[in-house]
Amino acid sequence: MAGFVTPVCGRIRIGGRDVTHLPPHRRGIGMVVQQYALFPHLRVEDNVAFGLRAQKAPRAEIPGRVAEALEMTGMGGYAKRYPRELSGGQQQRVAIARALAIRPGVLLLDEPLSALDAQLRSGMLAELARLHRELPDVSLLYVTHDQVEALTLADRIAVMDKARLQDCGTPQELYRTPRTAFTASFVGSANLLPVTVDGSGDAVFEGRALAVAPVPGRAVAAGAQATLCVRPHLLALGEGGPNTLRGRLTEVQWRGATHRLRVEVSGHLLTADLPELREPPALGEEIALHFAPGDAVLLAAGVAGTAGSGATSGSSGTAESSEPADPAALAGASEAAGVSRG
Amino acid sequence: MLVPSRAGRWVLWTVFALLFLPLFALPLLVVVAASFAGHWSGAFPSDPTTAHYAAAVHGESLQALVTSLVTAVVASLLALALGTWTAIAAAGLGKRAKRSLDALLMLPVAVPSVVVGLAVLVAFSRPPLLLNGTSSIVILAHTLLVTAFAHQSVAAALARLDPAYEQAAASLGARPSYVLWRVKLPLLLPSLTAAAGLCFALSMGELSATMMLYPPDWVPLPVRIFTATDRGSLFSGSALAVVLMAATLLVLLAVSRLRTRGSYR
Amino acid sequence: MPRAGAALPRPGWRVPRPVWALPPVAVLGLILLHPLGLVVQQSLSPERGGGAFGGYAEVLGSAAFRDALGTTVWLAAGATVGCLVLGFFLALVIAFVPFPGAKAVAKFVDVFLSFPSFLVTLALLFVYGTVGMANGLWTGVTGAAEGPFHFLATPWGVLLAEITYFTPFVMRPLLAAFSQMETAQLEAASSLGAGPGRIVRQVILPEARPALAAGGSLVLVMCLNEFGIVLFTGAKGVTTLPTLIYGKAILEADYPAACVVAVVNIAISVGLFGLYRVVSKRAGA
Repeated sequence: MAGFVTPVCGRIRIGGRDVTHLPPHRRGIGMVVQQYALFPHLRVEDNVAFGLRAQKAPRAEIPGRVAEALEMTGMGGYAKRYPRELSGGQQQRVAIARALAIRPGVLLLDEPLSALDAQLRSGMLAELARLHRELPDVSLLYVTHDQVEALTLADRIAVMDKARLQDCGTPQELYRTPRTAFTASFVGSANLLPVTVDGSGDAVFEGRALAVAPVPGRAVAAGAQATLCVRPHLLALGEGGPNTLRGRLTEVQWRGATHRLRVEVSGHLLTADLPELREPPALGEEIALHFAPGDAVLLAAGVAGTAGSGATSGSSGTAESSEPADPAALAGASEAAGVSRG
Repeated sequence: MLVPSRAGRWVLWTVFALLFLPLFALPLLVVVAASFAGHWSGAFPSDPTTAHYAAAVHGESLQALVTSLVTAVVASLLALALGTWTAIAAAGLGKRAKRSLDALLMLPVAVPSVVVGLAVLVAFSRPPLLLNGTSSIVILAHTLLVTAFAHQSVAAALARLDPAYEQAAASLGARPSYVLWRVKLPLLLPSLTAAAGLCFALSMGELSATMMLYPPDWVPLPVRIFTATDRGSLFSGSALAVVLMAATLLVLLAVSRLRTRGSYR
Repeated sequence: MPRAGAALPRPGWRVPRPVWALPPVAVLGLILLHPLGLVVQQSLSPERGGGAFGGYAEVLGSAAFRDALGTTVWLAAGATVGCLVLGFFLALVIAFVPFPGAKAVAKFVDVFLSFPSFLVTLALLFVYGTVGMANGLWTGVTGAAEGPFHFLATPWGVLLAEITYFTPFVMRPLLAAFSQMETAQLEAASSLGAGPGRIVRQVILPEARPALAAGGSLVLVMCLNEFGIVLFTGAKGVTTLPTLIYGKAILEADYPAACVVAVVNIAISVGLFGLYRVVSKRAGA
């Protein structure tokens, strides 16, 4: 995207302009990388002014735009400091201010929060969300392994796995109706069950028919193999409706506000996140779980996770489970940026 | 701990001291002592005097010191410019071209300095480039001899430089030349000063090529030290040697001061 | 995401990157390759008859040359061995049997490298010269008219000076290599009951071998090229290839003969230096 590697095929267009063969300095992309890469020999204000000076912006304009960019990221008071005198989070803000100062059409953020600790990360996430709201003209292209970052910030998410585009859509679409098993387990956690589709559109799992509300425009042919995806927090304890699964309780984790239960159903391990239970069932007990037809989605011809596949673990876990490739959720904030493959 | 026993360690340390002190510390001490001596015909120097230093900072000796300083400064700056240029240019070359360039630059290190002196003498004693008998020929030879070291240290620093800086600068709209001047060279500054210090020290002590080339009106300090000792004035030679060492050390110290102030991490 | 800074073919008027290497190469060609080429050419000039290689036949056949070659090679080889043994021991103590001030000693070694070589010879004149410290002490204690140390004007004096001056060049890469070694490895070995000798032979020496090889070959080349030390001993009996070149060119003004010796010296040194580069590349130095 930024122009440091030439694509093997396809074109890169920014706002309709083909930049495939433009050198990085002529693309008009602001870039923020993992390690900030603030110039250590320049003060904060000179770091922010760097792009303006490099592009020969009118001299009189520079101080105002520097102050504006620093103000926007809440770093107005640190203009005279050197990068080494700032904390990691502050450096990150300066890096963002530096990228914003040139008023780029696209702001490229490459895992900007991965070098920060958890607390700072959630603070910066809120900052970025605010910036995103305040700068409707700037498209943010945000690369991350973290589903929360992607879901919080993005208008559209593109899921990449092993350098291939897996899925693309709004966060709601990807979360509620993922297209592939990879997306389902990467964006949020998911229980994935191998099923066969019968004539009435129900999913047949180990001989039991389960009702699933169809997704418009995504019909699955009768008799086809498919994967049933149910989010752990959408499973409820006890009998209820047509979709009831019975199994043996193998694990109970109390997580404060919730209980996480692992239930073995016909050789498949299901995870259920339930509101805190007064009296959780005993290990080894036979229990029932149910879900509403509208809360499940059928994934066509995917490879379903079998028992213990780890498909239901958190996003960081799934990211690692698909090594060695570099899976990443890409969040694009507007239509201006796009990668088309030729 | 490699040697667990106390006695064993003491034995090793004693052997170390017996080897290290006479071999490395003694020579420097002796030269310093001799520079203050009026007489030395026994175990220890006698007749302490500062007359050698008085002579060392006057007349021809002072001239030699200035000659050496000028030669070393000019040669190291030239070498720094040339070595930095080649290091940056080499970074943009393919593997084989880079290796040939490296080999070319390392040639003066491999070739004996005397031969470099001879070659320069042979080449520049005839028109159109008649430099023989001028100070330029000495400076030229010194530049040639120290460029390799400047190139090597700058190339090493360049390889360690995080490419993220260059990429961030380019993404902000900086052209490659702007990136070079405003980002790369400032970030390389500590290594550049270190390289300059190294070149300066080498040039200050250069004797082999200089002996082949120096004209009568451009006598650097090492040559002066040699002529002094050659005619038997060992004490004034020592004083000159101490002046040489002190000048070299002072400049190295100043350079390393500059370096710590200029380092950013 | 792009992480590699691969070069891309860019359109426009920008100068292609390899072109930037041309000006310095041109400069080096003029002031380095051209002169060296002239040296080779002069060495082949049949000034005194006998064809292109007449000069070679005459010089290579002379006793002075064979003498200088022999002296140069054995001095360089001897000094290299001496530097390796001494440097290995000293570096070993500094790194693994540290004492208060060991760091300062390592610093001192670095400073030592920035001084010219002839200072060592100058100092040795005061220590082992005919009226120097050692002989002075001897005559003072024994009452003899003359001390026993007369080796300074012989090749042994040069050897001592070269070992003194070049040992730090071996110590530096060794200290760097030792500082990267894990002490845990040594502790494990010694907890398994290995004595110090065994640890040095089986743990430290294999790790230090690349640094020893690199430092040793560097010292070998530098000894072959050394001029100042030999010049300062003032010994007429010790002639090495560099001093022979100096003598032929400056004292006798016999440039063709000097060039012949120079070509031989270049061949030996550049060959060995190439070897050094290969060895040090492999050592990762």
